[in-house]
Amino acid sequence: MLSVLGMLFDGIAYGMLLFLMSVGLSVTLGMMNFVNLAHCSFAMLGGYVTVTLMNDAGWPFFATLPIAFVAAAAASVVLERVFFRRFYHAGELPQCLLTIGIVFVSIAAAAYIYGTDQQPVQLPDYLQGSLHLMGLDFAVYRLVLIAIALAITVLLVVTVEATRFGAKVRAAVNNQRMARGLGIDVDTLFAVTFALGSGLAGLGGALAIAMLGLDPSFALTYLIYVLIVVAVGGLGSIAGSFAAAMLLGVADLAGKYYIPAFGSILIYVVMLAMIMVRPTGLFGRR
Amino acid sequence: MTEPLLSLRDVRAGYGAGIVLDGISFDLPARGSLAVLGRNGVGKSTLILTLMGYTQIARGRIVWRGADITGQPPHRRARAGIGWVAQEREIFATLSVEENLTVAARDGSWTLAAVYDLFPRLAERRRNLGNQLSGGEQQMLAIARALMTNPALLLLDEPLEGLAPIVVEELAAAIRRMTEQGEGAFILVEQHADIALSLTRSALVLERGRIVHSGPSAQLLADPAALDRLIGLRLAEA
Ligand SMILES: Nc1ncnc2c1ncn2[C@@H]1O[C@H](COP(=O)(O)OP(=O)(O)O)[C@@H](O)[C@H]1O
Ligand SMILES: [Mg+2]
Repeated sequence: MLSVLGMLFDGIAYGMLLFLMSVGLSVTLGMMNFVNLAHCSFAMLGGYVTVTLMNDAGWPFFATLPIAFVAAAAASVVLERVFFRRFYHAGELPQCLLTIGIVFVSIAAAAYIYGTDQQPVQLPDYLQGSLHLMGLDFAVYRLVLIAIALAITVLLVVTVEATRFGAKVRAAVNNQRMARGLGIDVDTLFAVTFALGSGLAGLGGALAIAMLGLDPSFALTYLIYVLIVVAVGGLGSIAGSFAAAMLLGVADLAGKYYIPAFGSILIYVVMLAMIMVRPTGLFGRR
Repeated sequence: MTEPLLSLRDVRAGYGAGIVLDGISFDLPARGSLAVLGRNGVGKSTLILTLMGYTQIARGRIVWRGADITGQPPHRRARAGIGWVAQEREIFATLSVEENLTVAARDGSWTLAAVYDLFPRLAERRRNLGNQLSGGEQQMLAIARALMTNPALLLLDEPLEGLAPIVVEELAAAIRRMTEQGEGAFILVEQHADIALSLTRSALVLERGRIVHSGPSAQLLADPAALDRLIGLRLAEA
């Protein structure tokens, strides 16, 4: 399916995965200025949870998704309590060193437990095959993926834009000092937001394996993409992350389809161009 | 005997190793009002920030309703009843006016209806984002937002700074109404000494981080020579 529409469709499905895997990082980075390079390790954890439950315990694919979310969220809470909160005021370099260390530990741990091979994923029959619509083939799994990601996006936007919890998150992202001065417990708010964001990454990782594959290098490979989404989308902006993820998904696939020799460089060109035009990101305010 | 709402005992505080305030002691009774005067850079905002818990306290104690809060973080102090209107206003730019008001609101007599009554302009602007307001409107919002937390003590850091004279009058009138109907105490930092003194019961003057005068506001207001000596009357400068 190399038509432009087909490529767009695949790019959007891919972009949805990138959005789920990066939106949490965008919000927590915006709130606490904490640079968590291990964000994709939570996505990878979600992927391995789903693979293990399906292949070893015979769980249905959909039943594994909430567990992938919870496992990633729980792991992030433990790391936040034990390591991260000691580094909130430590500056960016110590934060990067700490979290990149966690990335390498997670890669080593995954390789130790699962080996370095791609994990086999057997999707249920009803998620395989494709639908014929308007003369085009749409892979069922990618349609489902887009639907799930859209539903989560709507839920996320409603939570952030229309609830008091969301208003507190936006207030803390906007001005942490004032938020504290009005009685908002920013540390607890951050811990909760951090857990939710990591859970979303875990869910994204679980949904990603059938499309992107899963091996221990996942935590590093997709970190690059996630950082691009955050940089282009603007810190703390959900709309920005969404737009950036779509742009990146489509641009990356387009590059790889149409100009394979140059394809993997294209996204970096797009990113540089974006950052030069809008240094604060697509929707960024700072 | 009635215990003061707030008392500072020999407080020495600043930013990191840099000491700004030294030997600050005073009591504020419940429903009391205090003007904090002094030239630029003498430590007025630092005093407010110290009360909120944003500075490092090297010595001394801050006692709130009989409990030592010297080491408490800002959000605890806010929840214990201290409301803060920052000098830079610090409106949440990505929240609507109404969200700015409700995001940290706590129960009490100051409700949305009550603050809209005090500042009708905010009711008209309720759907606007924080960054779409004029300076005067931002100041009203900063005050209203602090009131919505229903504090027992309101800290106002130069609420009239940088506003057009007509807006100054409007806001001063609102502060007067607020303090007349309010149950709470307040501390008012202000460059407009005449307005600050007419709104408060007692006053203190800072000079390079130390208290160089304290007494009833009315007394200071009636003594232009002392005022001029202590802070340099604004009118005299202009
Ligand atoms: N964040 C800060 N870090 C270090 N020094 C500061 C900071 N804020 C203010 N100061 C210093 O503290 C002193 C008092 O400032 P401030 O309390 O803002 O004065 P005022 O409000 O009376 O104009 C000044 O010398 C100022 O340079
Ligand atoms: Mg000041």
